[in-house]
Amino acid sequence: MDQNGLALKMEDITKRFPGVLANDRITLECKKGEVLGLLGENGAGKTTLMNILYGLHQPDSGRICIDGKEVQIASPSKAIQYGIGMVHQHFKLVDTLTVLENIILGIPSKKPLLDLVPARERMLNICKEYELFVDPDTEVWRLPVGQQQWVEIIKALYRNAKILVLDEPTSVLTPSESDQLFRAIRRLTSEGRSVIFISHKLREVMEITDRVTIIRDGKLIGTIPTKEATQAKLAQMMVGRPVSIVRKPRPAFSEKKPILVMKDVNVNDDRGLPALKNFNLTVHAGEIVGVAGVDGNGQRELAECIVGLRKPTSGTISVQNQQVTDVIADPSFIGFIPEDRQKTGLVLDFSVFENLIIKDYSRQPFVKKGILKYPVIKKHARSMIGKYNIKTPSEDVKARNLSGGNQQKVIIARELDAEPVLDIASQPTRGLDMGAVSNVHDILLNERNRGAAVLFISAELQEVMALSDRIIVLFRGEIMGDLNGETADVSTIGQMMLGQTPEVEV
Amino acid sequence: MKTIKESKFIRVPFIGELFLGGARPILGIVLGLLAGGVLIAISGVNPLTAYWAMMQGAFGNLQSFTNVLVRSSPLLLGGIGVALGIKAGVWNTGVEGYMYLGAIGAAVVGIPALSLPPVVHIILTLIVGMVFGAIWGLIPGYLRAYRGVNEVTATIMLNYVAMYLTNWLVSEPQPLAEFGSFYPMSKLLQESAQLPILMRGTSLHPGAFIGIVICLLFHFVLFYTPFGFRTRMLGANPNAARYSGVNTNKQIVLIMMSGAMLGGLAGAIEVTGLKLRVYMDFVSGVGYESVAVALLAGGNPLGVIAATFFLAFLKVGGTTMSIQTGIGAPMTDVIIALCVLFVIGVGVSERRRLENVHDVDKTETTDASDIKGGEENVV
Repeated sequence: MDQNGLALKMEDITKRFPGVLANDRITLECKKGEVLGLLGENGAGKTTLMNILYGLHQPDSGRICIDGKEVQIASPSKAIQYGIGMVHQHFKLVDTLTVLENIILGIPSKKPLLDLVPARERMLNICKEYELFVDPDTEVWRLPVGQQQWVEIIKALYRNAKILVLDEPTSVLTPSESDQLFRAIRRLTSEGRSVIFISHKLREVMEITDRVTIIRDGKLIGTIPTKEATQAKLAQMMVGRPVSIVRKPRPAFSEKKPILVMKDVNVNDDRGLPALKNFNLTVHAGEIVGVAGVDGNGQRELAECIVGLRKPTSGTISVQNQQVTDVIADPSFIGFIPEDRQKTGLVLDFSVFENLIIKDYSRQPFVKKGILKYPVIKKHARSMIGKYNIKTPSEDVKARNLSGGNQQKVIIARELDAEPVLDIASQPTRGLDMGAVSNVHDILLNERNRGAAVLFISAELQEVMALSDRIIVLFRGEIMGDLNGETADVSTIGQMMLGQTPEVEV
Repeated sequence: MKTIKESKFIRVPFIGELFLGGARPILGIVLGLLAGGVLIAISGVNPLTAYWAMMQGAFGNLQSFTNVLVRSSPLLLGGIGVALGIKAGVWNTGVEGYMYLGAIGAAVVGIPALSLPPVVHIILTLIVGMVFGAIWGLIPGYLRAYRGVNEVTATIMLNYVAMYLTNWLVSEPQPLAEFGSFYPMSKLLQESAQLPILMRGTSLHPGAFIGIVICLLFHFVLFYTPFGFRTRMLGANPNAARYSGVNTNKQIVLIMMSGAMLGGLAGAIEVTGLKLRVYMDFVSGVGYESVAVALLAGGNPLGVIAATFFLAFLKVGGTTMSIQTGIGAPMTDVIIALCVLFVIGVGVSERRRLENVHDVDKTETTDASDIKGGEENVV
């Protein structure tokens, strides 16, 4: 039956979407008790392939075999029956229900009333076995993101998943949580379960996987044992050329002119809980201050209060000696790349040319005598498209139809072209592929060299370290440390991200 | 960046999309008429006969066509009022109430003899009607923007308040009320406050033409002014609007008030052009038909013109149809409702199709909500 101990075999999977070949005869094999890395840039077709496995899409051709038997996966419930568990990058949890309720949600029951006692026992057993501890009675929205991920994993294990797919699982985790996850993964595989681990982070792929399958542009590039791989080799297979994030040289500025000055700022989050506590920060002209920290430690509120979108409960914020009192939407003063480009940074149903002026639509020369001047606006758009290399058939295309990297370029063009004195870049590379990431890095570095003050917020420690002149580490709304970008080291920052104050040798 | 091939944007058939954009309401209407035909057939009448009677009733002669125009007048203004709301992402379902207020405003300055020249008096009544409507619209607008009260609930409740307020104002002994009338109604408007009749022997007043001009005006406002840009941005993505410095609360209030102002104008025109008195139920459902118009139009001002004439055609023709074929007049309302449902339904399936196309593009970006369909199926 299970020849070669294959838990899963996806053979010659082809999936075509209108105008795009998302998967072109991809073959993927996952052995029992193995961690298979699935590596590829954004748009390479990883998620499509996994959605096919989970029954969300049907392949145009190809076969899927589980334990050596060919199966048709018509829906996610079928996938679950076949023992496939999926932890999506964006969790599919009901925020207002408790952990336990989320775990049993959707499991058919013949009883008229919910009986949570056996479910709780089973859940706690799973928690104990895999050392993923979550309080079953907490509502999900109260949990930090890392724990929400545990809930997703426990949910899959509760359904007895034999093949667990983890899509970018570490992007929301602290280093120690990642270690915890890896321990759980090893325990899973020691029981003969298989894990498919999707990630961008080569280091992690090297650490946890047994073999790696690399896809690019919808095609299978190859599968290699991790032991024979190096980070550089994997990166090269993934993008087709060697890449790395290295710290780039930069000229020094002698004069230190403060641009952004925050004094004793307190800000609440949406739930009214303190997000920044007595926060003090100064960012100077010609300096990139990187904000490191796990997502949800006040980064969003920090960015929002500087541009006036969120009112501090106390304290003062000034930009170039000007108090921030109202929303600042003037890209010639502050350029703000928001963390969620689709929800905040763009109007997806507006065309590219409209998106390029959503902050300037009421300014000259785009409006004259109260009337929008479309010829001027479109000409501006065409020049931005050329200057920032935005890939789009024309300026009339809706922003929705651009790829993530090009959407980000639209935002960058709008926010930074007018040469603001302060740049706030909030997770500007999230979800972008490596080429686009290095493009964004170059742009931010140029901004700094031009003399702009840059506040660079990112959950990716590697890029914060590569880019920043100074690094501050945020933990629960407080600055754990203010480090020199040249000399800071990963372990110090990693500890600070967890709220520990490392012993510093003076 | 340059070395990496970015072949990820999707070639959506733009022309096809445009075609579908225009064709969607038409397709919906055709489906609605077909479904209505089935119902007509069930009630024992040949649908073709019935629809032919409808055509006759609406376009048979000049007289009947003027009826279509007269019927269009409040629908155009109400429809554009609701459509503005749709563009801004609010459901301004209070047209019925705004019309009552507009009528009250018109009556307040139209009934007393102000000894003004007719043109001035007419303009005054219309303006006061608009102001009354707009003030009424301030209430749900404020509640929605600053207090988080659902605007549909607020406007519909206020519709009843407006209706009974009107009834009270035109009941004796209030000064506006007609003495000894059969049922509560206001005094007749001064002749100088009445809109001119454009064609002898008909009740054709200029309301429909005013409505068309205003639809064109708001098309211009929405697409060619910063105010319109703000409005559309607010409707398409309120987060982005806020981020771009739009005072979204203020904009919501302004849009609700604009819709209300247009509703007030519709009511004032209805009174000064057609009814010449104010009484309860003088609008009877036009406010809700305006919502149907705006939905058929997909919130587009130019679409409002087309949708209004379609609705007015059904309404006017429907009377003839019911006389000639014996089908109850409510059948026209059923057909309208079916058309609205089909237009919305076609829109939903269309959006789903487009979303499927874009899923490819989005699947790999982190911000994408990568699965849309299917997730309900998860056990």
